[in-house]
Amino acid sequence: MNKKTLFESLQQQGITRRGFMKYCTALTSLMALPPSMIPMVANALETAKRPSVIWLSFQECTGCAESLLRSHSPTVEGLIFDHISLDYQHTLQVAAGDAAEHAREQAMKEHHGKYLVVVDGSIPLADPGYSTIAGISNLDMLNETIEGAAAVVAVGTCSAFGGLPQAAPNPTGAVSVSSLVKDKPVINVPGCPPIPTVITGVLAHYLTFGSIPELDNLGRPKVFYGQSIHDRCYRRPFYDKGLFAETFDDEGAKKGWCLYRLGCKGPMTYNACATLKWNQQTSWPVESGHGCLGCSEPNFWDAGSFYKALSIPDGDYAKAAGYAVAAGVAVGAAAGFANQKNKANAVSQHTKVTVDDFGENKDK
Amino acid sequence: MISDSLADINVHVENLHHDFETGNLHSILSEIKFALEQLLQHKKTHSIDLRAMPWSPGEEKKLEQYLGKGEIQIEMDALGKSHFYESKYSGIWIVTHYNPEGEVIGKLIEISYMPDMIFTREEDVKDSLERLQQL
Repeated sequence: MNKKTLFESLQQQGITRRGFMKYCTALTSLMALPPSMIPMVANALETAKRPSVIWLSFQECTGCAESLLRSHSPTVEGLIFDHISLDYQHTLQVAAGDAAEHAREQAMKEHHGKYLVVVDGSIPLADPGYSTIAGISNLDMLNETIEGAAAVVAVGTCSAFGGLPQAAPNPTGAVSVSSLVKDKPVINVPGCPPIPTVITGVLAHYLTFGSIPELDNLGRPKVFYGQSIHDRCYRRPFYDKGLFAETFDDEGAKKGWCLYRLGCKGPMTYNACATLKWNQQTSWPVESGHGCLGCSEPNFWDAGSFYKALSIPDGDYAKAAGYAVAAGVAVGAAAGFANQKNKANAVSQHTKVTVDDFGENKDK
Repeated sequence: MISDSLADINVHVENLHHDFETGNLHSILSEIKFALEQLLQHKKTHSIDLRAMPWSPGEEKKLEQYLGKGEIQIEMDALGKSHFYESKYSGIWIVTHYNPEGEVIGKLIEISYMPDMIFTREEDVKDSLERLQQL
């Protein structure tokens, strides 16, 4: 860890106490904590040390890193990145070859037991030759690097759950980080890509409190993945009233009705898109008129067509909507269970998107 | 025929009717009312993070219109601008923090006699005195 505290570092940059408090306010919001936590965050940051981060990229498309780096700058995210020591990221660092690997080894040695490892991408087990860095297989590099790590952050669905590389027939034998790492805390930050503020929010939590946030049963931080897209969706009142868009250009679509019948996976997807949104909080898929793809859930690539409606208990939408008004979340939960089964079937059958999934050809 | 302006392209953009409400407006107003009672009875301040709420397009604007603008507006310049203004209901402040690029990085409703960030801290007063004494 760097000896300077974050507050001292900010002060040296000419940032005043009010600026620091503003930073803490934005950071608290970023971590999805209530504003009543701002004084605690400020207190923790006044003494927080700069942690070392080693970022490993395996079988991935660099979309997760792009999501973070292209978000917007300089903002809270930018400030956080100024205050962690990113000691290895082979796409971004200037050093290459031996020098780059030396940087990683040196960070591991100097910060043994205290550094964070961020991983994006899945790990191929069928043949290590599918993905190597400096001649080192992904599996060997992961095992070597996590040995002295305090925790591992699996960024993106590939790293958290296998993602696209693991989609059937999974030619590389791709697996997730958590299926290999059993003796260190693993924080899954899925999404294809994850929301940049969620990535930094998790890093900020570690920077601020020196601990990992509370996780759900899939290892995801509850503050960001604790509620379904459906439950926080601003179009939810239309679902409750049984008002659905049937095609992408009908009257319902123009009036902003629920996209459930157009294949929205919101009811079975846990993520923070509905509140944090994308592109400087401009919008998010559902607000732009497209259903949620469920990208932060395991096996989402193999879970059937993005445009096929999830089923609800009896297939009668008007009746189900009536139940929904009466029972609220219960119907959503029942639909969730029904659809988990459908998803499992789709995965085993590896169903594909066809023209019948779209518009008026769509199976009603 | 070659078009030389966008107006020549026969595309009609329809205004979408997304002016419905999620119901969050009513919940927030109830929370504000309760917080004002707490402020009066126990001097307890409260903040609501507006960016943590799922809003329908335009709904947040409706809340601002409902609360209106009161007599006081304050601008702060630290890590980008911040705007504080009291609503037409005294004790309810709308606070917006921007980064140096002018993008919103925080938006809150504060229920207090004065937003906490406005007050000058004792440490800063001591620091000012030290610097003045060195002149």
